[in-house]
Amino acid sequence: MAKKITVELLTRVEGHGAIEIVEENGKYKAFVKIFEGPRFYEYLVVGQNYINIPRIVSRICGICYVSHRTASARAIEDAFGAKIPPELELLRKLANVGAFFESHGLHIYFLALPDYFGYSSLLEMVKDYPNLVDRGFKVKNLGVEIMKVLTGKNFHGENLIPGGFANLPTKDELKKLKDQLEEIKEDLDETLQLVDSLKHPNLTTPREFQLSIYNPQGWDFYSNQLILVEKDKKTLFTKKEYEIFVHEEPVEYSMAKQSTVKGKPVLVGPLARVNIYKDQFSEETKKLISQMKTKFPSENPFHQNVARAVELIEARSLALDYIDTLLSDYPSKPHIELKPKKGRGFGVVEAPRGTLYHTYEFDENGYCTNSNIITPTAVLQTSMELDAQRLAESYSSLPLEEVKFLAERLIRSYDPCISCSVHMWSLSP
Amino acid sequence: MGKTTNNGSKKPTVGIMYFTSCGGCQCEILTHANLLKKLVDLVEIKYFPMGSSNNTLETDFDIIFIEGSVSTDHDLELLHIARERSKILVAVGTCACFGGVQSSKNAESSLNEMLRYVYGDKIPTVVKALKPKPLKDYVKVDYELPGCPVSGKDFVLAVQYLLNGLDPFLPKMAVCYECKQAQTPCRLQASYMCVGSLSNAGCGAPCTFKGLGCYGCRGDHEDPNYKELVKLFRQKGYSDRDIYNFVKVFRGNYVREKLLPYLDLDIPLPEDEKPKEVN
Repeated sequence: MAKKITVELLTRVEGHGAIEIVEENGKYKAFVKIFEGPRFYEYLVVGQNYINIPRIVSRICGICYVSHRTASARAIEDAFGAKIPPELELLRKLANVGAFFESHGLHIYFLALPDYFGYSSLLEMVKDYPNLVDRGFKVKNLGVEIMKVLTGKNFHGENLIPGGFANLPTKDELKKLKDQLEEIKEDLDETLQLVDSLKHPNLTTPREFQLSIYNPQGWDFYSNQLILVEKDKKTLFTKKEYEIFVHEEPVEYSMAKQSTVKGKPVLVGPLARVNIYKDQFSEETKKLISQMKTKFPSENPFHQNVARAVELIEARSLALDYIDTLLSDYPSKPHIELKPKKGRGFGVVEAPRGTLYHTYEFDENGYCTNSNIITPTAVLQTSMELDAQRLAESYSSLPLEEVKFLAERLIRSYDPCISCSVHMWSLSP
Repeated sequence: MGKTTNNGSKKPTVGIMYFTSCGGCQCEILTHANLLKKLVDLVEIKYFPMGSSNNTLETDFDIIFIEGSVSTDHDLELLHIARERSKILVAVGTCACFGGVQSSKNAESSLNEMLRYVYGDKIPTVVKALKPKPLKDYVKVDYELPGCPVSGKDFVLAVQYLLNGLDPFLPKMAVCYECKQAQTPCRLQASYMCVGSLSNAGCGAPCTFKGLGCYGCRGDHEDPNYKELVKLFRQKGYSDRDIYNFVKVFRGNYVREKLLPYLDLDIPLPEDEKPKEVN
């Protein structure tokens, strides 16, 4: 007899999705069903002038709009053979640290934490845990503040453009951010202690493949090099080769395409990054990690919540370095002029949820003729399904309702961004 | 309001629903810590899937806020339920008010063309896709809070007004007004593509302040003059194709009627926009 566990609407995630686990003769199969409406983004940019592209693709995702803007601007610059000066790169990196704070802060406190405390939402915890709720808002809203200074708005700020920025933030604005980043240290340490101390469900899912942007000098979300880790084998490749390694395909039961490496699930995102970079973090972060109950590398997907808190600590110290460098070597101009030319460009960035890839082709006047975007959530669908299968197997003796709750928490731990995943990719003409 | 709800509760019941969108409006709402912390005392939030795992639609609502465009049969079904069960329905953000960026090619492409381009002949069956449209194309919407994303200030004000039983006061005037207030030099005069003169202010004009043109995410104010703006854009050297491409980003459902009459562009009516023949 087949039995079925279905979570019909995944809550405390971004977008519309469901999970279904089917058991037949002791074998489990899981399906992540995404029924978010199609958004047609790659189709929408075709025919558009390059200048309008970051503005359009920003709207793929409200949470990680800075990542989409950054990846698209970098792909456009790459296509036109332009290189923006390092000071402007630093400002972009700072904006991306903002995205990490906002996204990870939102996930840890608003989306994940209520499960561990037995509440249905963070707002429900206001009376019993006022300090915790305040800290959640504080961490997340510092990210929003950083993004606003750099992009001009809390969300979908337009200031980050191909070539750099329309306008530079003032030194005073940067100094104010520095003060806020200094001030938030304690909150981040407490966040890490908190998520490390939580009781995470046990689940071991060894990974065939883990993928991240790679920089031999340490944790990085901005380099043009990537690393694919396959057990003990490490393969380095460039952004131009992304589609050689990551292959996507539509499936009937999801509005998002599924991506795999050699037909197998690949883990991207906070856990993959912390697993890969665990020995390359700053001394301060390494010391904190060594005192933790959670050990990395980890094969437990629920430890993604801990990995996020680790990343925030590292991101904060990087952001302070960026600001110090910027204050002593302030950019002389907000952007460089771009000269459109015919060709194809590639842009990658580590979004909070994992590796994000944009590519565009342009005609000689800078009008887009073809595009492709691969989002981390689209890549993670198969990992989520595999983990859900393993979860159902490991917890088969539990009552169905409990397995269902665990399955929902499991998907949540991936922090899927469903709106991103259904941006859709295009077929080459 | 809120004193005589049908569910026996004294507190007004509120829902925050989202259809096809980026989630940015809910992110914006979630930045307002003080509002939200007060709100949990004043109202009962019965439906908010992005923020809570305890949701019900099996109740009467005083206010439902909806983010996102209607892009699937599932969105549409939820919209009808929301309209039926809520005294007040508020469209939040540009997708809910006008269809949003995902509708930017609605004037030139049919849904079928969009789906084919994206999925080839493997179109998923998990949900039936619809051409992205605003809520008001299907049901009566009581208030609209436009913006991409919604302005947090508008949202806070609207909540305050509605909970006090008042009509939210959201004046419609041109973004130019807010540029003048902020002493931002005119972007159009500086030859930027800018549709601030057509567009509804209330955002505080942050984009022009940063030196960019306004792209009009908040839709039209009461008396937009498309004809004159097209003339100005042409004087600045922009092609009709560039004008169309810029304006359609946030006005996909309206460019055919409002903009195309003034442009020398031949954009055939997509199959699914043609009036159906009645026998």
